[in-house]
Amino acid sequence: MNKLLFFSFLFFSLLVKSSTEEPLNLNNDVYPFENEAKEILFYSLLVELRCPKCQSSNLAGSNSPISNDLKREVYELVLEGSSEEEIKSHLIQRYGNFIVYNPPLEPETYILWFGPFALIFIAIIVIFIVRKRIIK
Amino acid sequence: MKKIIDILPLTIFIGLIIVLFSFLSEKDDQLETVLIDSTFPEFDLSSLSDDSRLLSKNDISQLPALINVWATWCIACRIEHPFLMKLKDESSLTIYGLNYKDNKEKALELLRRDGNPFEFSIYDFEGRLAIDLGVYGAPETFFIDKNGLIRERHVGVIDEKVWKDKFAKYLDE
Repeated sequence: MNKLLFFSFLFFSLLVKSSTEEPLNLNNDVYPFENEAKEILFYSLLVELRCPKCQSSNLAGSNSPISNDLKREVYELVLEGSSEEEIKSHLIQRYGNFIVYNPPLEPETYILWFGPFALIFIAIIVIFIVRKRIIK
Repeated sequence: MKKIIDILPLTIFIGLIIVLFSFLSEKDDQLETVLIDSTFPEFDLSSLSDDSRLLSKNDISQLPALINVWATWCIACRIEHPFLMKLKDESSLTIYGLNYKDNKEKALELLRRDGNPFEFSIYDFEGRLAIDLGVYGAPETFFIDKNGLIRERHVGVIDEKVWKDKFAKYLDE
């Protein structure tokens, strides 16, 4: 009986919650957009772009002055109708590949892209050799 | 032979630790700048000392020059300040300031008190020119050669050693 009561309470509390919940746009006042596509682009860019000052955080997760300036820059570019690629290259031209979490494939970034595969390859070879020795 | 294989993982592990530790002590947090060998970005901002004086790229006319990004909230900039004064007195370089996201009164007060090494300071309250320069922290210093190209960028305090290692060679060109 107690169990039934508990679950019915739980069920109704969920209903109440979902009916009162506003759309989760807490930042709407800070960065207003005329359409949803631009808003989605803006927030997805904030996740993909890296804060140059903190170095291990994206723009969305940083409140440093430089991050806020870059958010404003991205915001303005999005409002002007720039595409994702245009905005990224705009920032790469100023801050280098560091600014994006998804660096382009260039000779300089080969170690980033192929390093892990090389390590896995070496590990497989080592395991193979060690196993062979053990079996012997 | 078997013994060697037994200690191999440990050896590799210790080797890895040594390599990673050596990276830790390396205090180089300088990001490479993409602006090397490009011209100074366009801008339209007022002078720190005179609101009515509008500055643009063409005002950076006495070359070669240093562009120094500074602010009163930046403690390292104050450490650097005496060296900039010395540089201004002893070299043929012109130093231009980029006052970055600062309080105008405080900035002018600091220049009055500690001396003004700058030909003029660009007042970049919103940090817009700074973004075009890829600035991510003050102080930052750019060297612009006699052809107007950015040749070097240094993040952090410039002292005698940094000057010798990174900048002096461009002045001799």
